[in-house]
Amino acid sequence: MFGIAISIIVFAISTAVYSKSSLTDLNSSKLNTFGGHTPGYPTLQTTGDVLDPTSLVINPKNAVVDPIKYLREFNYGKLSLSSNGTVIRDFTMVASDQQTKEVSPGVFYNVWTFNGTIPGPTLRATEGDTIRITLINNGSKFHSIHFHGIHPAEMDGVFEGIAPGGKFTYQFTAEPFGVFPYHCHMQPLEEHITHGLYGALIIDPKEPRASADEMVMLMNGYDTDFDTENNFYTVNGIPFYYMHHPIQIDKNRLIRIYLLNMLEFDPLNNFHLHANMFNFYKTGTKLIPDEYTDIVTMNQAERGILEFSYKYPGKYMFHAHKTEFAEKGWTGLFLVKEGTNQSINENLSVTSIRNYTDYSTTDFNKTTGLVSTGGVN
Amino acid sequence: MEIEEGNTSSTHRISKRTILFGVIPFIVIGAMIVLLMNSSGILFQSSIKPLPEISIEKVEFSDNNMIVAYVRNTGASEISIAQADVNDRIYPAAIEPGRTLTRLEDAKVIIPFVWNTGEPYKIGITTDEGTRFDKLVKSAAGAPRPTVGQASTFALIGTYVGIIPVMMGLVWYPFVRRLSPNKYNFFLSLTAGLLVFLGIDALLEGNEIAVNSLAPAFNAQILIIMVAIVTLLTLLYVSQRLIQRASKRSKPDIDIEYKKRSSSNSEPDMGTKDAKSSSLSVQQRLLIRPIAISMMISIGIGLHNFGEGLAIGAAVLLGEVALSSFLILGFTLHNTTEGLAIVAPMAKSRRIPVVKLMIMGLIAGGPTILGAWIGGFLYSPIATVIFLSIGAGAIFQVVYSIGSWMYHTNGSKGLLNNHWIIIGFASGMFVMYLTGLLV
Repeated sequence: MFGIAISIIVFAISTAVYSKSSLTDLNSSKLNTFGGHTPGYPTLQTTGDVLDPTSLVINPKNAVVDPIKYLREFNYGKLSLSSNGTVIRDFTMVASDQQTKEVSPGVFYNVWTFNGTIPGPTLRATEGDTIRITLINNGSKFHSIHFHGIHPAEMDGVFEGIAPGGKFTYQFTAEPFGVFPYHCHMQPLEEHITHGLYGALIIDPKEPRASADEMVMLMNGYDTDFDTENNFYTVNGIPFYYMHHPIQIDKNRLIRIYLLNMLEFDPLNNFHLHANMFNFYKTGTKLIPDEYTDIVTMNQAERGILEFSYKYPGKYMFHAHKTEFAEKGWTGLFLVKEGTNQSINENLSVTSIRNYTDYSTTDFNKTTGLVSTGGVN
Repeated sequence: MEIEEGNTSSTHRISKRTILFGVIPFIVIGAMIVLLMNSSGILFQSSIKPLPEISIEKVEFSDNNMIVAYVRNTGASEISIAQADVNDRIYPAAIEPGRTLTRLEDAKVIIPFVWNTGEPYKIGITTDEGTRFDKLVKSAAGAPRPTVGQASTFALIGTYVGIIPVMMGLVWYPFVRRLSPNKYNFFLSLTAGLLVFLGIDALLEGNEIAVNSLAPAFNAQILIIMVAIVTLLTLLYVSQRLIQRASKRSKPDIDIEYKKRSSSNSEPDMGTKDAKSSSLSVQQRLLIRPIAISMMISIGIGLHNFGEGLAIGAAVLLGEVALSSFLILGFTLHNTTEGLAIVAPMAKSRRIPVVKLMIMGLIAGGPTILGAWIGGFLYSPIATVIFLSIGAGAIFQVVYSIGSWMYHTNGSKGLLNNHWIIIGFASGMFVMYLTGLLV
């Protein structure tokens, strides 16, 4: 009787062991390497699949945004002149809420977007311009755009939602200069924001800021399991993206970052720059820096402008110094190079449309391929 | 009704009509399955995907800076694993054999991670839908590796926890032999009390594992009850056969005695039919039955100790306990009472050779070592739950045997009218409870 019991046990164990080992042997021909990003951590090989958002790239077909494109893409709108000579900038925004896109390698989430990406497009104008934004609601719910800044009550995007299939044109004067978030303001507000309906509006001062390599960084998060806690944190839409695609910049070149925080649920977020210090212009509404620092902390919808340049070439990290966010995706790298601005050059085609009136008066510099932030003067 | 009549008239010939009636339900079910599977959701269309569910069944911490989590898709549909994290911080990882898991398929997630001994870790798994599942390990400890050193450590633990205490309990044999009937009843019922405690303990322990480590998809809680009942019934059957066979071998007419005894409420009558054979049978009975009971107790306790060994090995593996001398001492004291359980039924029978006692001790205590090895090196929550349930079933069978033995040795006058028995039973449970506080 006891012998039977033992033999059953032995049989069960040997079966279990055998089935485990046979699983591993199945496709031992194909080996993937993983790990080893951090000193002291082993690099291993596996016959299975690698789960590594710090090195895997999302298929662009599914990706919620192309963070490299988003970084330096400024939309200046379709330009026209009013009878009194004011520049009018026309933008079209399409809201949708039924797409599922990859927000972190392997993770698919129902995203609500302006123009198909999270964050939505960066809109840019010069102080005093007339901004006209036509919102087309292709979604299944009411949506709106609420801009921060100065404008009339009926242009505030709060009380008048745009019905599914509807259309509305927001019109206001770009004032004051600075950095402003925009987002959907329908209820439940938290739901509309956390699903991705937000982006940046930059209003340049009439007297342009110094020429610089400019970029937008919008900090956000994704609560993919709806427990009012973010599962992923990012800058510019995809966790860890700039870890495997470092942002290439030139040594000694002035860098200007328009930084915004649209993170939902967590009370604050921050930006820390490695091996450097930056001038910080809170909200970007002044031309004199508020602070010379290497870290800035923001609540939701707070924003500002960072200016700095790197003295030495090499790889430098930037990340949230709320380390939890850093380790859940809000981490990136600058790659500071000695040489020319080849990489930046390639990204400039989109920005060249901004000044239609008189190219000779703009700062567009064909020899260096760099652009100043000055608008139409 | 008609069919029934047809059946009764020809007991062994089943008419075609009967076969037809037997088959029809299966044909209907088959047709339903074909219809539902091929209608591609036309009949019961739902846009809502079933909720994903991942069970992290086991987490191992290996000495070469790795954490290995064994995950199983316990949801209703296929799932793809996207990312892994340690303490809610995302880390590069690998999943073998692959990230896509069909229903109830399992996989191994390997996370290179420099972990610290004794600290708690929460291992998280995120699916392609962005849902995160996690498991907390209260205190990280290096997974025991199946080396000779580790195996001997487990063997030593098993010896301390299983063999030594049972053997110590056996030493009481001469003492129990000299007891008066009332005191003997007391000790027998004490044994029953001890065993009932162990049985309930095993069921509760199994339930705890079922709730904490097994997905609802396994219905493990009902499995515990099922396995315990089936074990109980099987062992009752086996022990009856064992006693019958042993009796037959020594005296063919023992059967008569059996039948008579079981059908009679009065004291076994020795002189009604065949005085000589009956008295021999009683002698046989008094000799064979206690040894058989003791043997069954040994096996029952052996199964129980196997489960205990599994639990100890698994606790070491999963970092739930730090092995300490105090813990081992507690188990030793706790288990000494098991030896008493083995010798108590044999107290009034013929003297038992020491070798036989030793064998019984080994049967009862030895499986602890085997259990510790398996639990420590090849832990599986479902196997542990099943073994604990088998142990519980085995123990309840033993309690039944002791109960019926006492009933008959007391002249079938009942059990609950004897205060020695009640006190003994209660004391048995209390002794276990108190020594259990040490563990």
